[in-house]
Amino acid sequence: MRHPSDGTLRRLLDEPDGVADTDRDHVAACPACRSAMAGAERDAASAAASLSFEIGKVDDADVEAAWHRLSAAVPASPAGQPIRSGFRTTISRPLVAALAAVTLLAGATAAAATDWFQVFRADKVAPITVDPAELVQLPDLSAYGTVVIEQAPRVRQVTGAAAAKQVTGLAVPEVAALPHGVTGDPAYYAGDQAVAVFTFSTAKARQTAQAAGKPLPPPPAGLEGTKFRLTAGPGLAQVWREARGAPAMLVGRAAAPKAYSSGIPFETARDYLLALPGIPEAVAGQLRRFSADGTTLPLIVRSAEQTSSTADVNGAPALVLSSRDGAFSGVFWVRDGLINAVAGSLGTDEVLDVARTLGQGR
Amino acid sequence: MRADLEEVFRTAYPRVVAVAARVLGDRHEAEDVAQEVFLTFGRSAVPAGEAIGWLCVAAAHTALNHLRSGRRRARREEDVRPETVSPDVADAVVTNDERRRVRQALRRLPRKQAVALVLRHSGLSYAEVAAALDLSPGSVGTTVRRAESALRKELNHASPE
Repeated sequence: MRHPSDGTLRRLLDEPDGVADTDRDHVAACPACRSAMAGAERDAASAAASLSFEIGKVDDADVEAAWHRLSAAVPASPAGQPIRSGFRTTISRPLVAALAAVTLLAGATAAAATDWFQVFRADKVAPITVDPAELVQLPDLSAYGTVVIEQAPRVRQVTGAAAAKQVTGLAVPEVAALPHGVTGDPAYYAGDQAVAVFTFSTAKARQTAQAAGKPLPPPPAGLEGTKFRLTAGPGLAQVWREARGAPAMLVGRAAAPKAYSSGIPFETARDYLLALPGIPEAVAGQLRRFSADGTTLPLIVRSAEQTSSTADVNGAPALVLSSRDGAFSGVFWVRDGLINAVAGSLGTDEVLDVARTLGQGR
Repeated sequence: MRADLEEVFRTAYPRVVAVAARVLGDRHEAEDVAQEVFLTFGRSAVPAGEAIGWLCVAAAHTALNHLRSGRRRARREEDVRPETVSPDVADAVVTNDERRRVRQALRRLPRKQAVALVLRHSGLSYAEVAAALDLSPGSVGTTVRRAESALRKELNHASPE
């Protein structure tokens, strides 16, 4: 009779009942299999010892404290709290594309987790080159070179406006009057500046293009090896919640995403990357947010889900987005190198009213 | 956020921390991983019946991802390594060194093997590992066996002279 496989011998150690009687009988009578099983047993014992780690008791108080921590983090991701259909999609996309800090707070973690989640669910267990949790707000350009995350944004809830200001160095905008239906005091969030350094690699980009079935267009001279430093934030946000905990309104402010170059201009590299075959739309969308001077406000509108229009916020051109079902609106504008946003489960008139009467903060 | 999050959290939290701690050798870091995992779970539509398996796999994956940013961690460990050591501290240093080697070895294993290994040694049954990794129960034994063999080789290879 054929010897049972190594896997069967291994299972025999742990779950003998899960192994067929014929295999068990064979092993009992077969010196070669018994010897192989002894080897498996040694390796298993060695692995068990290597992987043993005494964490101590996780008691009720630990669980309570951890739950408290998780509960505090949940509001930092309003994307995960859909109160109306479409809200999640709406807030997690255009806001992510638009705002450094606000999206740090509102959707980026969710987006990163979603990407990771899809990778996991698809059971693609290939190494993820950049830890998604650290990828908040920075485009994953690892298919086109190397990405080194120098600083993660570490978004957290803070005790109030003064703490948010202290963390970010930004003045906290003051809302003159809350729209109808938005009540109570806001929760404050702050995130540090996120920093990543990207170095373009022709070889990697060629590989990625080939995977998309296209040849790599010739890179501009000097691109290979040029280091681009991408920064986003710091930023802060105030979030008002509805009774059930979902976000009703969010007012945010963040230093605009910027890119610094050690060689050829960032815009040259960006336009080249954006033209590459197969660049994922999500990455392209993130990439478009970055500019050398940090003063542009490129927003990616998903026409199927949102409508966009332009408006004026006290002299600054602003972009207004709203979901087609009217459940969500947001207005975005740039002033003095800072991106500002007012968004929520509100109408466009309401977000514009709040934006136009917003105090510049202390 | 899904309605059953709190219930699932209170039931599964200790187990999720334990899975991550096996990979990371550090309770504090394992607790951070558990937070990440439950946040993702909270946004997911994973059926309640699959929650435990999903959370354990997610904890293993996330903890293994954390190992990738292990340079800072290694540096931290270097920083705390005392120059003159008492016997107790010397034991702790040896233990830390072993943990570091185990983490390095785990990082080098094929991801599926590493996850299967961690899950099996965290007490998941063959059927649970199979369901979580979309393997047949028969191939779980093979994957775990290969992982254990590879781990031994990696550790022998990495052993100090």
